[in-house]
Amino acid sequence: MRLRKQAKLLSAALGLTLVLGACSSGSSDSGDKQVKLTVWSWDDTVAKAVPGFEAANPNIKVKVVNAGSSFDEYTALDNAIQAGSGVPDLAMFEYFAVPYFAIPGKLDNLGEFGVDKLKKDYVDAAWNDVTVDGKVYALPSDYGPSVMFYNQATLKKAGLKEAPATWDEYYQDAKKVRALGGDHYIAQDTGDLFFLLSLIWQAGGRPFKVNGTKVHIDFSEPGTTKAVAFWQKMLDEHLLNTKVTAWSDDWNRTLNDGTLASQIMGGWLTASLPQRAPKAAGDFRVALMPQWQKGDKVGAENGGSGFGIPAAAPHKDAAFKFLEYFTHGGGLSPRVDAGAFVPNTSVLASTDSQSKVNKYFGDQKVGPVLAEASKSVARGWQFPPFFEWARSTYGDLVSKYYTTGKGSLAGILEEWKQRMIKYGNEQGFEVD
Amino acid sequence: MTSPITAQHPASAGKRGRKQIGLAFIAPFGLLFMLVFIVPIFYAGYLSLFQQKLIGGNTFTGLANYTKLFHDAQFWDGVGRVFSFTLVQVPVMLILAMVLALALDSRRLHGTRFMRVSIFLPYAVPAVVSTLMWGFMLGVKYGLLGSLNDALGTDLDPFTPSTTLISIGVMVTWAFTGFNMLIFYAVLKAVPRELYEAAALDGANEFQVVLRIKLPALRQSLVIAIIFSIIGTFQIFSEPQILPSMVANSGITTHYTPNLYAYNLAFTGSQQGYAAALALVMAAITIAVAYAVQIRGLRNAFDH
Amino acid sequence: MPSITSTGAESGEAHVATSGSSTGHSRDRRPRYTVENPKKSVTLTVMTGLSALYCLLPLVWLVINATKTQADFVSSFGFAPGHRFALWDNIVEVFRYQDGIFSRWLLNTVIYVVVGAVVSTFLAALGGYALAKLQFSGKRVFLFVILGSIAVPGIALAIPQFLLFAHLGITNTPWAVLIPSFINPFGLYLMWVYTADAVPTDLLDAAKVDGAGEFRTFVQIALPLLAPASVTVLLFSFVSIWNNYFLPLIMLKDPNWYPLTIGLNEWNKLGSTAGNGALIQNLVITAALLTVVPLIIAFLSLQRYWQSGVSLGAVKG
Repeated sequence: MRLRKQAKLLSAALGLTLVLGACSSGSSDSGDKQVKLTVWSWDDTVAKAVPGFEAANPNIKVKVVNAGSSFDEYTALDNAIQAGSGVPDLAMFEYFAVPYFAIPGKLDNLGEFGVDKLKKDYVDAAWNDVTVDGKVYALPSDYGPSVMFYNQATLKKAGLKEAPATWDEYYQDAKKVRALGGDHYIAQDTGDLFFLLSLIWQAGGRPFKVNGTKVHIDFSEPGTTKAVAFWQKMLDEHLLNTKVTAWSDDWNRTLNDGTLASQIMGGWLTASLPQRAPKAAGDFRVALMPQWQKGDKVGAENGGSGFGIPAAAPHKDAAFKFLEYFTHGGGLSPRVDAGAFVPNTSVLASTDSQSKVNKYFGDQKVGPVLAEASKSVARGWQFPPFFEWARSTYGDLVSKYYTTGKGSLAGILEEWKQRMIKYGNEQGFEVD
Repeated sequence: MTSPITAQHPASAGKRGRKQIGLAFIAPFGLLFMLVFIVPIFYAGYLSLFQQKLIGGNTFTGLANYTKLFHDAQFWDGVGRVFSFTLVQVPVMLILAMVLALALDSRRLHGTRFMRVSIFLPYAVPAVVSTLMWGFMLGVKYGLLGSLNDALGTDLDPFTPSTTLISIGVMVTWAFTGFNMLIFYAVLKAVPRELYEAAALDGANEFQVVLRIKLPALRQSLVIAIIFSIIGTFQIFSEPQILPSMVANSGITTHYTPNLYAYNLAFTGSQQGYAAALALVMAAITIAVAYAVQIRGLRNAFDH
Repeated sequence: MPSITSTGAESGEAHVATSGSSTGHSRDRRPRYTVENPKKSVTLTVMTGLSALYCLLPLVWLVINATKTQADFVSSFGFAPGHRFALWDNIVEVFRYQDGIFSRWLLNTVIYVVVGAVVSTFLAALGGYALAKLQFSGKRVFLFVILGSIAVPGIALAIPQFLLFAHLGITNTPWAVLIPSFINPFGLYLMWVYTADAVPTDLLDAAKVDGAGEFRTFVQIALPLLAPASVTVLLFSFVSIWNNYFLPLIMLKDPNWYPLTIGLNEWNKLGSTAGNGALIQNLVITAALLTVVPLIIAFLSLQRYWQSGVSLGAVKG
């Protein structure tokens, strides 16, 4: 008797779990009029656009979920697509990840929604970032023009009145900063791929040429070799701190105590630098990246992301409505107020962004510098559709070089190319 | 399925009934175990027969993933690393745990209770938190080790490619020594104390007591501890996964340990079939090693 | 210290042999130290103390840094206090940040731990009892499979488990975390070994002769005898579920269902991965402290029970 009761209870409990589970995952499809959107985003500012949107569209409810940052989110999305359940209506992608999802058909072509007419409202290079084979797969939501953050006080200590405007000056200044001794360096680098690529990008190299599933990789173009040779010189002459890795606690502390004289990074660092280096308040300034030719204004990107609609998303029309709202329409201003840095020309040109002084940066007007950097990003850059894999592999290769000092950056890039060719072809691309 | 049928028989229905009763008791565990372990393992076996391509989808490739694995230098690099790590870390940790347990049991310590609790506490700390803490403790620039280097004029760096594994050992030992110590200590406490007194009357000194009574008493639990430690170190994952975000150029690659490699293959490389093959081969290796160690212990326990 | 002298004086005479007779042990010259109460050794204390220091130091760091503001955290030495004692502010902010989601994570964790630990312990007891005391065919195979499963890496199971659960529609629900936590092969093993030893078969037979059914015999006779082992298994499950990271990482994408470890890692990642996330190390560290404290309390208050369980399981293993 008791045994039967027990068995019943257990099987009932097990049954319940399945029923409950089925309910909670199936609920997203319910209701004819009410649409419940799920948005995956690790950008906090997206949620700021929700109240305004819901007020204007009472039949759409938006739920913004942080499904992990970057890699974690892509994994989750891949899993959800494979499992055929739990796919969000909108998901966030760093620009380099757009081809990875777009080319195998995991993202919808936004052309169906008539996005082409929005093109003029974005910085050119940002639009290029979300375009794969002439089709647009995402709308840019934040932007990372490469700029130089420099610690004026440290440069002054090294006897420098101005920030370096060219890479030649940068090299000379690096020696002067190094002469301060201790842990003073003009920059840190522990094999940061995105930085090296931004350097190549600015110098005119375009190592990846992507055409559908065909990828051509070439690190021997003059622009690429110039950039790589320059950074090699900086490394060879021990002008860089190779012990402190970006985003680590140590990095925060070198920024904070002024031993790190500059950091070339996406413009978005403006928002979080004050938290990382509170003690250095008033010391940091923002400038364009040093140039290869004096007087030039050529920039590159480091980071930035957009939002796309997965091909398996349940509510595509409503999803696009919200996408347009928070990346282009009325949802933009609450996001900008919350600290988002966006590639929309209207925002970059606004008087607010042009004239606001930033106390942390010694009352500098930071907005115009970032707007200038955004507009000067060089065109035509492409990422291969397997870049997520490629960058982790680069990490394996480069760490060997940075620790042993054996080999060269150029050698690493060549080895990297060979690995990409092998992997890419295994994955069904045509890579050479 | 079995439970309702058995439930209809009275408990005393003879041998056949009792047989089914046993199944009924084991059924809830067994069914869930099927769902959580057996089915996924077979599913992994099935997946391992396919190659996933970003372009072109899945193709059945038979045992190609396994053939590839046996020629994959990155895999064997990780396996070798895990073996050598296990060979050093497990003995160090277990000997330390045993010595500490003996020290606690000797009743010669001031503050035994405090020591016991302190050494055990790390077991309660989640890996996420412990990595945060150790990142600081071993930090060369601003961490404790950095200060130590400054004070002593040394230049120790715990995260170069040749020292990272040692640092991971320090972290793992930190987390699990107390746990093992507590098991050993509990075993020692269960030894009837009259034995010690008898030995003392026979003129044995403390060292002899340890050698003749205490260590033999620990033998069984040591076997268990060795097995679980080996399984644990073979699966090492969290530390090498989290460390690279904190320290530069520690030498940790995407294939540093087999588990990390499997994870990266499956989740960044979109090579789930290959990852499944790797995980299954690794499981087989682990089971083989564990079985080699435990074969006697298991038999004894079963016959008991 | 006082206890040494008092008990030593009482029982000293009976155990003179301890020290006096052995030359290798001549440090204890005075007879009032006994086998039960040997002389305290400073050397041994110092050496064990060093190990304790090794274990405590990181936790000390955690406590100290939970009292700092974010600004103090990045600018002061790890073992030095900050300019301002901000522990309470930090705790309040932890519970307020992101609309107070931390308390939701805490609640989730408690639910996962309590339900998971209780169910897994009960199932392990039931199964262990069956293995030790009841007959059924295929027992040896069953045991071998269960023990073998302990050696299967979690990663090997993660992908297929996820796909399977997705087919059942239970990913991103608490069940995806709960169901796997119901299975504790090591717990089953411990229960089996313990039952074989601590539950006399005569007693069970007697109960059955008196007319008790199998399940009633189990609940009324065996279960009380299994209490120490149950506490042990309960605590093992408690810790492993509390610290579980990989499984919920894969299964859950809705922050409302996150356990503490995942939430904490998300907070930590905000500022420590490339991007523009908020840098809230002070909150991460305070939250970490708050995550560790309940476990420590559970250990300290239950250690008496579970030590006896561990010892029996380990002795017989």
